[in-house]
Amino acid sequence: MLNFVPGLQIPKSFYMAARPIGGPIAGAWQTKRLFVCHIFRSLQTSHTTGEIVVPFGKQLKDEAKKKRQYGESKSSRKASKGADPRLEKWELTVGIEIHAELNTARKLFSSAATSINAAPNSHVSLVDVAFPGSQPEFQKETLIPALRAAIALNCDIQRKSSFDRKHYFYQDQPAGYQITQFYEPFAKDGSITLYDHDGIAPEDGQSITIGIKQIQMEQDTAKTVQQPPTTHLLDFNRVSHPLIEVITLPHIHHPSTAAACVRKIQSILRSMNAVTAGMEEGGLRADVNVSVRERHKELPEDAAKSYYGVTGLGQRTEIKNLSSFKAVEDAIIAERDRQIDVLENGGVIEGETRGWTLGSTETKRLRGKEGEIDYRYMPDPDLNVVVIGQELESYLRETLPKSPSQLADVLCDSDGYGLTMFDAKKLVALDREDRLDYYMDVVHLLRQSLSDKEQAISKVGKIAANWVLNDLDSLLTTVEGSWSASAITAQTLCDIIVPLTRREITRATANSLIDKILAGDAREVHQIISEENLALVPLSDGDYLRMATDLVEANPDIVKAIQVKRQKGKIGWFVGQMMKTGEEGRIEAARAERALKNVLEVE
Amino acid sequence: MLPDHMSLLRDAQACIAKQASRKNLNAFISLAEKTAVLKAAEDADRGSVQGPLAGRLIGVKDNISTSDLPTTCASGILQKYTSPYDATVISKLRQAGGIVAGKTNLDEFGMGSHSKHSFFGPVVQENGDNTMRSVGGSSGGSAAAVATGQCWAALGTDTGGSVRLPAAYTGIVGFKPSYGLLSRWGVVAYANSLDTVGILSQSSVDSKQIFDVLSGYDPRDPTSLPKSTRARISKFAGKRFQRGPLRIGVPAEYNITTLSPTVHSSWISTLSYLQAQGHTIHHVFLPTTKQALSAYYVLAPAEASSNLAKYDGVRFGTRAEGPDGATSVLFSATRGQGFGDEVKRRILLGAYTLSADAIDNYFIQAQKVRRLVQRDFDKAFRSPNPLHEEEIDSGEATENEGVDVLVCPTAPTLTPTIEDLDAQNPLDAYKNDVFTVPASLAGLPAISIPVTVPEANEKVGIQVIGQFGHDELVLDIGSIIEKQPT
Repeated sequence: MLNFVPGLQIPKSFYMAARPIGGPIAGAWQTKRLFVCHIFRSLQTSHTTGEIVVPFGKQLKDEAKKKRQYGESKSSRKASKGADPRLEKWELTVGIEIHAELNTARKLFSSAATSINAAPNSHVSLVDVAFPGSQPEFQKETLIPALRAAIALNCDIQRKSSFDRKHYFYQDQPAGYQITQFYEPFAKDGSITLYDHDGIAPEDGQSITIGIKQIQMEQDTAKTVQQPPTTHLLDFNRVSHPLIEVITLPHIHHPSTAAACVRKIQSILRSMNAVTAGMEEGGLRADVNVSVRERHKELPEDAAKSYYGVTGLGQRTEIKNLSSFKAVEDAIIAERDRQIDVLENGGVIEGETRGWTLGSTETKRLRGKEGEIDYRYMPDPDLNVVVIGQELESYLRETLPKSPSQLADVLCDSDGYGLTMFDAKKLVALDREDRLDYYMDVVHLLRQSLSDKEQAISKVGKIAANWVLNDLDSLLTTVEGSWSASAITAQTLCDIIVPLTRREITRATANSLIDKILAGDAREVHQIISEENLALVPLSDGDYLRMATDLVEANPDIVKAIQVKRQKGKIGWFVGQMMKTGEEGRIEAARAERALKNVLEVE
Repeated sequence: MLPDHMSLLRDAQACIAKQASRKNLNAFISLAEKTAVLKAAEDADRGSVQGPLAGRLIGVKDNISTSDLPTTCASGILQKYTSPYDATVISKLRQAGGIVAGKTNLDEFGMGSHSKHSFFGPVVQENGDNTMRSVGGSSGGSAAAVATGQCWAALGTDTGGSVRLPAAYTGIVGFKPSYGLLSRWGVVAYANSLDTVGILSQSSVDSKQIFDVLSGYDPRDPTSLPKSTRARISKFAGKRFQRGPLRIGVPAEYNITTLSPTVHSSWISTLSYLQAQGHTIHHVFLPTTKQALSAYYVLAPAEASSNLAKYDGVRFGTRAEGPDGATSVLFSATRGQGFGDEVKRRILLGAYTLSADAIDNYFIQAQKVRRLVQRDFDKAFRSPNPLHEEEIDSGEATENEGVDVLVCPTAPTLTPTIEDLDAQNPLDAYKNDVFTVPASLAGLPAISIPVTVPEANEKVGIQVIGQFGHDELVLDIGSIIEKQPT
C-alpha cells in the first residue's frame, strides 16, 4: 500500500514535489489541509448547479432575525390559511426531489471512510480527488440502506441498474462529473401514503397517495468553505459520500401536503436507519417543481406539459436546495402566488430555476432555460452493471424495520397498547425512537410483573405511556435534566409503577422515589421503600374518622362555612390538611374525603 | 567488452548509448537515472535480482503512472506531474525484475496517429535517404525506442490502434491483448471502454514473455476480467494449435480501394506463406467494418471529453495564473492553456456528441454500431466468445464453421513521411485507424507483425486478430508470420 500521510491519503512526497494547491496561499495547506480554489464571486450566481447551500444553523438564525423584524403576523402559514379566492380558479401542482445522505461506513466509490466532522481532507482516496489513472471501486454495502429505503417507499427494486456520469464544472466536483443513475436507477415506481394526522392539507381529506417515480444512488460533492472575497477552501471528505435521490410524481396540490410528504419521507428514511441525519441537521435537501393550471380548463395541446404519465400540466419552475420543512412549504406558496400573478396579468411562466431564502416572501430567479446546463449524461465505462439478487431483496424485506406509521398503528391497536393516535405519534417521533424502545421495555416488564387481572384493570399500555410521555418529563424538568433511557431505567420505572398500581405506595411516594433516584440514590426501589418506611400501611376507617374529628374540632370557622354557607369546596382544604398531618405518603385522599364528609355530615 | 555472463549489463549499456545517440528522434520524455539502471542490470547478471524480465530495459509510455518518473501524458497540463503511485502493470513489471528505462513520448493523452501532438515535440524516424517519417501513434515514442534499440521492449496503450500502428510504421511487433486482461489501474484514461495496455517488442516471443507477466486479475480495476472469466477463456482458447491446420480468415471489407499496392502484395504473400504451412484460407464478411471507424470517432472522443474533465489544475497539474473563474467559464484559462489542439478538438467533438440534442444521433447510434461490429466478429470466428457466459454455460454456443484468426494489414498505407502529414487534415489522420479500430471496438486481441517487402525495401505491418481471449493463439501465429522468409 501507499505510504499515506495523516490528513490526505496521498503520499506526502507528492505534495512536496508537485504543487497541488493554488498559488497565492499555498501555505494554508499545511495548517488547514484544504485545497484552494480561487474564483470570482460573480461565479456563484452564474454557476449552474444551484448548490448554494446555506447551513441550516444560519438559516434558523436568519429566520429568527426576520421574524423579529417583521413580527409573527407576517408568517406565510397564516397567509395560506386566509382563503385566497384565486385558488378556486388556479390549481397548484408540485413534485419533489429529495436528496438524503446515506448512513454507510464507506464512500460510494472508494474504500475511504465516510465522516461528518472529521479534520478536513482526512478521508480521501486517490479516486475521490480524481487522480490520473485512478478508478472507482463500487462499495456494494452502500446498497443496503438504499434498498431498505426503496422497499419502505414501496418501489420496484430493479434487478439491473447502472451508473452514469453527469458532467458540469465546479470546484467541489473533482472529476468534472458526478456519478449518478440517470438511465437505469435501482428503484422505480413506488408510492407514499400521507394521512390527515401527517399534517396534509384539509382539502386532501383523510389520506393521499403520492407516486414515487424513482430512487437513484449518487455521490455527494466536496464541501466548500468560503473565504471572502474570492478564496474557496475545499474539503474532500464529503466527496463520494453516498446519497439517494427520491423523485416524486407531480401528485401534490397543496403546500402543507408537500411539507408533510418531505417530513414523512424523512421519518421513513430515519426509521430504516438509512440516513445520517434529518433535514434539520443538513442530512436532507429538497428541490421542488412547481406549476399552476386553471381548474376545469384544459390547456391547449401545445402548451400542456407532462411528466412521467402525468399530463395536462402548466409550465413548471424548479426551486432548488430547500433545507427545512418550512422552507418547502413557504417556497411553494410564494412560487404559486407568483405564477398566478404572472398568469392573471396575461404573462407566461418560463421554465427556470429559482432560489428561496427563509423568511423572504418571494422566490428569486437563478437562471433561465438558456442558462441551463447540458449535463451530457454518459454511462460510466469503468463501472459494471449493478445486479441485485432476489434473495437479497427478500431478506431485506423480511428484516425491514417497521415504518413510523406502521409503528403508530401497532401502538393504537386496542388489543395491544391501546394508545390514542396523538400519543402514539408523539412516542414514535421522540428521541429517534429511543423513547419508543424504552416504552416497550417498560410495558414488557409490567406485563411480566402484574397478573392478568391486574393488567386488565390497570390498562398497562396507557399507564406506561402517561409515565413515559408526561410524568417523567415533568419530574426531569424540575432537576433540569432531559430524558434518557439510563436516567430512570425501564426496570426502575416498572418497580415504581407496580407498587403504585397495587396501592402499596401513594402517587406522592412514587414521585419522591424518582426524585431520590435522579439525585443519585443507587439503592433498588424496593429497598428505598422498606428502609425509609414508605410503604402504604392502610389505616383503618377508625383511624380516618379520628383524624377527621380532630381536624373538624380544631377549625370551627371552616366547618361553619361548609355547613352553613354550603361552601363544599372547603372540604378539599380539610383533605389537604389530613394529607399533611398524616405520615408522609400514607393518607389516601379518597378515604380521607369519605371520613371527613361523614364527620361533617355533608354529602 | 564485458564477459558473456554480464550480457544484461552489456545490453543496458548499449540501450543507454542509443538513448544518447538517437535523442533527435525524441522518443523519451524522461529517462531513468543511468547509474541506477546499470546497477539494476548488473544485479540481474549477478543473479541477485530474478524474474522473467530480470535486467530488461523497458520503455513505458508516459500515460502509465510511475512514482519515480513524471507522468505527463505529453500534455502541458501535466508537464510537471509525478504520480503518487505505480500503475499495476508497472508494479508487476518491477516484481518480474524489469527495469523502467524511461517514459516515452506520445500523442497528448493518446490522441493521435503520428505522435506529433506532443507538448514535448513530435517523435520522428529517419529513413535511409534522410527523409523524416512518421512513427505512427499514439505510442510512437515506445515504438521508436524499441525500433532503434533504446530499450529492449516497451509498454504502450492501444485505444484504436495506438500500439499496432506505430509498430507497423517502425517495423516491430505491436501486441494489443484482449480488453480486461491487463490492469488499467494507473493508466491515464483516454477512452476507458477501449483503452488497453499493449506491448511493443522486436519479436512475438518477447511480447508473450511480457504479456505473461502483466496479465492477471486486479481488484482495483473494475474492468479487469475476474478469475472465473479467465478460467473460461483457458478452457476454450486452450489447445487450438495441437489440432492441426488453422482456418485463416480474410475479411473482404479490408480490401479497400485506397489500399497501397505494396501493402496488398505483402498481405497476399503472408497468406500464401500461411497456406504453404498447411493452414487454409477463407473469406469472411464483416459488413459493419465500414461504420466502425465513424463509431470509434464518436465513442472515443465522447469518453475523452468526460475523462479529461478532471484536469482543472486545482488538485494536481499545471494551473493558469490568476483566479480560476477569471474568464466567464470556470477553469477555462487552465484548460485552454494546458491542452493542445488535437485534445481540444476531440473534447469538443465528444462534448457535442453527448449533448442532449445530438446524443441520439451520434453516441447512441455509435454504441449500436459497436455491438454490430462485435457480432460480426462472433459470427466470423469458429470459437464462441467467452464473454457470453450464458450461451456457453447453456451449451448453446458451440464451434461453427468459422475461422480461428483473421489476417489483414495493420494500416492501409506505407509509413508516411512528415511532409505527407503536413499536407493532411485531421480527418485524413483518422483514416489511418480504419483497420485497427474494429478489433478495439470488440475488445479483441490483435498483433501487428513486420513483413519485409523486398522490392520496396520496407516493412509492412500485417495484423492477426483473434477471438476474445485467444491472445496466445494470436501471439503464436504472429510468431509463424515472423519466420516468413523475405
